[in-house]
Amino acid sequence: MNSVVPVETKVLNENQRLAMALRERFARAGTLVVNLISSPGSGKTRLLERTLELLPDGVHAAVLTGDIQTDADASRLARFGFPVRQITTGGTCHLDAKMIDRHLEGWDLDELDILFIENVGNLVCPSSYDLGEHAKIVLLSVPEGEEKPLKYPSIFFKSKLILITKADLLPYVPFDLGVARKNARSVNADAEILLVSCQTDEGLGDWMQWLSSRISAG
Amino acid sequence: MHEIGIAASVLDIVRKEVGARPGARALVVGLRIGDLAGVDPESLRFGFDALVKDSDLEPLQLEVEYLAARDDLDVAWIELEEP
Repeated sequence: MNSVVPVETKVLNENQRLAMALRERFARAGTLVVNLISSPGSGKTRLLERTLELLPDGVHAAVLTGDIQTDADASRLARFGFPVRQITTGGTCHLDAKMIDRHLEGWDLDELDILFIENVGNLVCPSSYDLGEHAKIVLLSVPEGEEKPLKYPSIFFKSKLILITKADLLPYVPFDLGVARKNARSVNADAEILLVSCQTDEGLGDWMQWLSSRISAG
Repeated sequence: MHEIGIAASVLDIVRKEVGARPGARALVVGLRIGDLAGVDPESLRFGFDALVKDSDLEPLQLEVEYLAARDDLDVAWIELEEP
């Protein structure tokens, strides 16, 4: 006899369960957690370098940085005196909640004001995985073109903040900022959009303000 | 290409449901996928077929309901053959 049984279960239920547990831990410890996502080469590591340099004295930060291979990013980021751990996924194209949980071992979250998670460079897969973060932040660099939000709507839809990076290249590449903003808005009307450059420091004050207002709120 | 991992999670859910019903066999699993879920249905189908082949669940079929402007990624139902 055949029968259709309603299941109504999220496919990523197991990841979701772990992510909720992480979110509770972060909330209890008062740690702000941001998950940085972009295509490879959009400037996630460079942004983190400048951010760690600009963090006010007394703010305790840590970084989990994901890559398919190498610990090159961790080496770059370790220079700033904050704890940094590399998550080498060995082929997997995204970070999941289990990887975050495992790599937090031994860190006292109560002593951390902010945890930066640098996801694997990829605009598709990381959007499906909740890491217990407070906000997904998507980076779109000027040379990539203004159509990215339309081509990869999922991650732009799920991000609280959209950072348009490499603003210093605007005079040199055909990138219409107005169209980029319009495209982003069409996918996500609520996200904040900031224009930044780690070469000229344009917009970094707004970015640091975005972070610090949430750190103090946490 | 995280669709293989997603297909594996779908099969885990099917095994759990079938395991709870002695003698039952799953014929079709129905998914609900929003176009904002970041999942490509064709890649998912490829991964699903590859994982089902020669497994305990063969010849399980996949049916996908694709929804616009949503981010669902759910196993909605399973069609079972029960004794």
